Amino acid sequence: MPALTIDKARKEFPSGEQTIVAVDDVDLSVDDGEFLVLEGPSGSGKTTLLTLAGALATPTSGSIRLGDVELGDLEGNERSAVRRDRIGFVFQSVNLIPFLSATENLLAVRQLGGGRVDRDARDRAEQLLEELGLGGRGDNVPDELSGGQRQRVAIGRALMNDPDLLLVDEPTSALDSELGRQVVELLRDEVDRRGVAAIMVTHDERVTDLGDRIVKMVDGALVES
Amino acid sequence: MSIAIRELRRRFGQFLPVLVAMTLLVVLLVVLGAFLDGLSRSQTGVLRAQGDRVLVLSDDADLAPSRSRLPDGTVEALAQVDGVEEVGRLSTVATTASVDGDVQDVVLVGYDLATDTLPEPPTSGEAVVDAKLADLVDVEEGDTLAVGPDARELTVTTFVGDVSAGSPTIWVAADDWLELADTVNPTERATTQAAVVSGDATPDELAGTGDGLAAATVDDVIAADDVVTQQSSTFQGIIGVTFVVTLLVVALFFVLLTIERVRLYAVLKAIGARTRDLVAGLAAQAVAVAALAVVLGIGLGIGLTLLVPPDLPLVIVPARLAVLAVATVVVAVLGALGTLRRILRIDPADAIG
Ligand SMILES: Nc1ncnc2c1ncn2[C@@H]1O[C@H](COP(=O)(O)OP(=O)(O)OP(=O)(O)O)[C@@H](O)[C@H]1O
Ligand SMILES: [Mg+2]
Repeated sequence: MPALTIDKARKEFPSGEQTIVAVDDVDLSVDDGEFLVLEGPSGSGKTTLLTLAGALATPTSGSIRLGDVELGDLEGNERSAVRRDRIGFVFQSVNLIPFLSATENLLAVRQLGGGRVDRDARDRAEQLLEELGLGGRGDNVPDELSGGQRQRVAIGRALMNDPDLLLVDEPTSALDSELGRQVVELLRDEVDRRGVAAIMVTHDERVTDLGDRIVKMVDGALVES
Repeated sequence: MSIAIRELRRRFGQFLPVLVAMTLLVVLLVVLGAFLDGLSRSQTGVLRAQGDRVLVLSDDADLAPSRSRLPDGTVEALAQVDGVEEVGRLSTVATTASVDGDVQDVVLVGYDLATDTLPEPPTSGEAVVDAKLADLVDVEEGDTLAVGPDARELTVTTFVGDVSAGSPTIWVAADDWLELADTVNPTERATTQAAVVSGDATPDELAGTGDGLAAATVDDVIAADDVVTQQSSTFQGIIGVTFVVTLLVVALFFVLLTIERVRLYAVLKAIGARTRDLVAGLAAQAVAVAALAVVLGIGLGIGLTLLVPPDLPLVIVPARLAVLAVATVVVAVLGALGTLRRILRIDPADAIG
């Protein structure tokens, strides 16, 4: 069974008299351990598709399944739990919690929803930071880290709860190209090591070769390339 | 430690304005409460000095001792009631007293029974005196007071505290009071106003002793006092308004804070926080800030009441502080919950992109 199955998903936004079709009847599936690269021009609906896949928004029509869980069947708190336990997000604009250290940012996803921060959680956070080349920076708050380091902390946070699906939106846009490639390589390593399914949105042609499969999106629809 | 409490500690400056505002409001509440309790205490000292006894009055007095005139023989009749231990007379009259030409309004009290506060009645020509009189004029034990229009001389045997009835009180034996009261008001023959009764007899049993009698506990007589109830309802009104202001201040602060944190909350929701978690975090911050404000405010408030001149009747009552502390924390939580709707509306999809 694919980690993610998107079936005729459509997302419309009302805009005055008209409706914008941001995602136009998209079919897509991603397997465990597969690293999918999603590219396409600005405004083509890439971010919107990620919000649907990540249970951040509901499709106007169509179905989205995570493993065998139909996201449309979940109510509010269940969606929160799915986001916390089964999905890892890396946002374009990093979005770490500014008053928490790197380690605490990772542990925060454990605390949400009433989880406990135990020895295991601490070990895992430490190990992830180590893997991401941030050993020794765990006590620094985001302001004390460089852009690339912050993006790596965000990746650690996304992986903290051992998700089934990793959703990454333009991770390199704030980084210079060399650093960008390093970060994506790290991401690729983590996907391989953990066998997690991943979708990465990027404009950056220098990193698209790191994906297993490249899918192009134009005007809300997918064009396999 | 929760994320919210970490934020509070690390971003303390962000919470400083609301902490300062709440602390000042708590100071105001402490001072208002001290005025309320001080005023009512300074009115009711004579009654409170009677402890848990029952007062018997004439029933046309509406439980106001100064308007009561006990029928002859009431005291003797009350003594016969089952369960009665002691019966004593209690009467008051407003007059003046002068010390070395310094004239003060006083209330002259006649009594029979010693209590926890009061010694046995002094002998004729002597008086037990309210310590508050000593705050107002220079008088010591052994000094002589000239009381009433005839300037009857009374020697001060001792002072007792917390027995004022609006004005300072001067306590004499009940028989002496009858005689002195006649000099205060020559047109009417002085009559004993009330009886104080100790023992197991209920107010109803005591009131049934004779025609035209009413009986009530000290607390009920105080509660029936117009001056006291008017003062306390005025102060309670001001205190209530202060709590409303506190609620609005806290609510406004947390709304502004939430607006500032929309992005943070969207991210937290996106990574799995439920609305409940976010609201619980805000409530925890509100409780922490309120608790700190209560500690600081009560400290400062008590300090302030110590600086106030002693003729202002301010009294700090621990039970009132406890109520105030709990109410402040509850109000703060309610204020913080005012942001619930706003937090519910935050869209986790805004975190991405
Ligand atoms: N919340 C929204 N309300 C209305 N329209 C929206 C909303 N979100 C996205 N859109 C519209 O949907 C379309 C797709 O937007 P989306 O952000 O998915 O594009 P994108 O491919 O991620 O673009 P970019 O590469 O610039 O990030 C755009 O036309 C956008 O204006
Ligand atoms: Mg986008």
